[in-house]
Amino acid sequence: MTNDKTITKPGGVSRRTLIKSAGALGTAFAAGTIGAPAVWGQGKKTIRFLNTETSIDSIRALKVACAEYEKQFGTHVIVDSVPLDDAFTKVTTSLRGGQPYDIATFAFVGHVLLLQAEGQLMPLTELTSKHKWGPKILFPVKDEVYWYPYDYNLAWIYYRKDLYEKHGLSAPKSYAEMLKNTQTLTADGRFGSLFPIGSNGATNWLAPGFMWAEGVKLFDDKWNVALDNAEMAPRVTRYLDFFAELYKTMPSGASQASFGEVLSNFSSDKVGHAAYAGRIIEALERNAPKLATQYGITPYMDSTGKAKAVNHGYDGWVVLKTPNSDESMKFMKWFTENQYINFLHTAPLHFQPPRLDVYDDPRWRAHPLIEKHKEAVETMRGFITDKSVILTSIDTEGPAPDLRPGKVFEGFVIPEMLQNKILKNMSSAECIKTAADKMRKLIA
Amino acid sequence: MSSKTTIYGFLFVGLAVTLALIVAPAVYAVSLSFYQMDSFVGAPKWVGFANYVAVLQAPEFWHALLNGAIYALGSIVFQVALGIGFALVLNEAFPGRNLVRGLSILPYLLPTVVVILTFKWMVDGGIGIVTKAVEAMGLPPINWFESPGAAMASTILVSVWMWTPFVTTCFLAALQTVPQSLYEAARVDGTTAVQRFFHITLPMLKPILTVVVLLRAIWMFNKFDVIWLLTRGGPVGATENLAILSYRHAFNLFDIGGGAAIATISFALLSVAVLIYFWVFPLEDD
Repeated sequence: MTNDKTITKPGGVSRRTLIKSAGALGTAFAAGTIGAPAVWGQGKKTIRFLNTETSIDSIRALKVACAEYEKQFGTHVIVDSVPLDDAFTKVTTSLRGGQPYDIATFAFVGHVLLLQAEGQLMPLTELTSKHKWGPKILFPVKDEVYWYPYDYNLAWIYYRKDLYEKHGLSAPKSYAEMLKNTQTLTADGRFGSLFPIGSNGATNWLAPGFMWAEGVKLFDDKWNVALDNAEMAPRVTRYLDFFAELYKTMPSGASQASFGEVLSNFSSDKVGHAAYAGRIIEALERNAPKLATQYGITPYMDSTGKAKAVNHGYDGWVVLKTPNSDESMKFMKWFTENQYINFLHTAPLHFQPPRLDVYDDPRWRAHPLIEKHKEAVETMRGFITDKSVILTSIDTEGPAPDLRPGKVFEGFVIPEMLQNKILKNMSSAECIKTAADKMRKLIA
Repeated sequence: MSSKTTIYGFLFVGLAVTLALIVAPAVYAVSLSFYQMDSFVGAPKWVGFANYVAVLQAPEFWHALLNGAIYALGSIVFQVALGIGFALVLNEAFPGRNLVRGLSILPYLLPTVVVILTFKWMVDGGIGIVTKAVEAMGLPPINWFESPGAAMASTILVSVWMWTPFVTTCFLAALQTVPQSLYEAARVDGTTAVQRFFHITLPMLKPILTVVVLLRAIWMFNKFDVIWLLTRGGPVGATENLAILSYRHAFNLFDIGGGAAIATISFALLSVAVLIYFWVFPLEDD
């Protein structure tokens, strides 16, 4: 028996004819598809924008802006949204694969520096030089700025004003006061505080603030690891000893807590203190409106009550050197002039403006949440204008913007130092030595 | 078209897909391990075996290897033991058996990310439903992730919950191929249920047991998603296996060559382990 007989039903189509027709159709479709972009591409440019703000509001605002841009200038802007952690990999692999993104979002200066060093970024100085900016945000390289920072995400401490009033407490100014307040609020099924200690970005962002307030520097002026030197070690010891006590006021699970757990525990009245940027206020407004008037904010404090700090955080856009660079620059110019405030309004309290002019811009201030929480907004503004507030973070430590602190950040050195102290009960001296050794290895 | 042409046609397509999607990326990944690279942008620098030397000299590598072995062994032992147990129960006749069989596969059908996020919220120290239930019973809180041992145990627990249904299904299928006449003859000889299990059921399950243990070992040793989503390898590296370590080197620590070297070593170790396994437990014997 052979398989190649033509089987034809009376009045029907033979199998062979059917296969031939399908093949011809497929070939025609493929040929049409291959040819199509060349035809469609004529007269219409397309640029690709990698976004990492994944809230519905932010994505919608970007897409509306892009549609508006296309309507006005005929350039199609494709917005891809990915989680922040994936942005750098997406950008570098897109470059490697020959189909680079034209605009991308980053939240780590090391990534900007790395791409700039490889000659992959367009300078954005002509855009940034139009405005006054807050401190430590432009990260210039040889007098050129290679990104457009759109927000600060500083981390500070939230506390419950109503509970403070009930217990006769005042905003903590020192480690001892912070401990007393958190211990006092550890009652009635509520925990005193929640600060993440796991090997994750949340810990890198929310836990070291007390250490910065204590005056700790990770590196000296020549990029030597300073964490365990004679000046810093006692400060780090005080920080670790304090944190070990603070941990006793936290619910179990701090080693796994990330951004979501911090938000939900504070907004569901399960903890009396937590650290975050403005997102907590937005979460309270959305999920616990009664608590939205009961919070207070304060910077991290040191052991003596003299110094205060906030942990640095930021996001920004870069324009990559691609065949579409000119078009991308035009888009960035248009977007930052016409759509920037709309974009900031998609997370009105979390996207803290780094551009100082925005704080006095009535369009920005007109947002109902910014208006309602103007006291908090002024405090937030103070964190970047008050020179006595220390503003730093693991990834921006050191004498200049560099990839080395980024490696310490991604190596989870500080979170592991906390875990060694808290979960493994190592002595503070041992924790510091282990952390400093790991830092040296990472930056070698 | 002759049958020979058809065979070659299919073979060609299969080989082409394998080459393009498996062999080529694997060769590329191995080649990366001989270069020093900060990222995929920029010129890579040839360093020979330096990445391998650095990786093998790092205590984290051996720690991750041990963690991977503990995680794989712990997961497999529980998955196989529970899988056989459940399969034996589901192989018996009882009312609603088909419904229970259908429900028992559910954990395997859920996306990993759903399982992990649900688990994390259930055991959240402040608002988790398990935490609240434990509290309501007057018991001390369970510290699911607060020590290296507890974190490893929690990770194994989640893996066992997710993949025992797969093992159960495999064994259930195998159990249905065991001839009933063997059991009937054994009963006539006056054997107990335990004797029948060890002398009939288990030997008859051996071929599937060999394959299931091998598959589970490979999947568990290489497991990334569960550990990454649950603990990210923490606390203090307690649940970090070679897959996590490789990823962290390549994508977090700007050391793509080091990450590729770890992945290559992991691949070589698994290949050797598989060869040894088939040498010790040859399928042909069955």
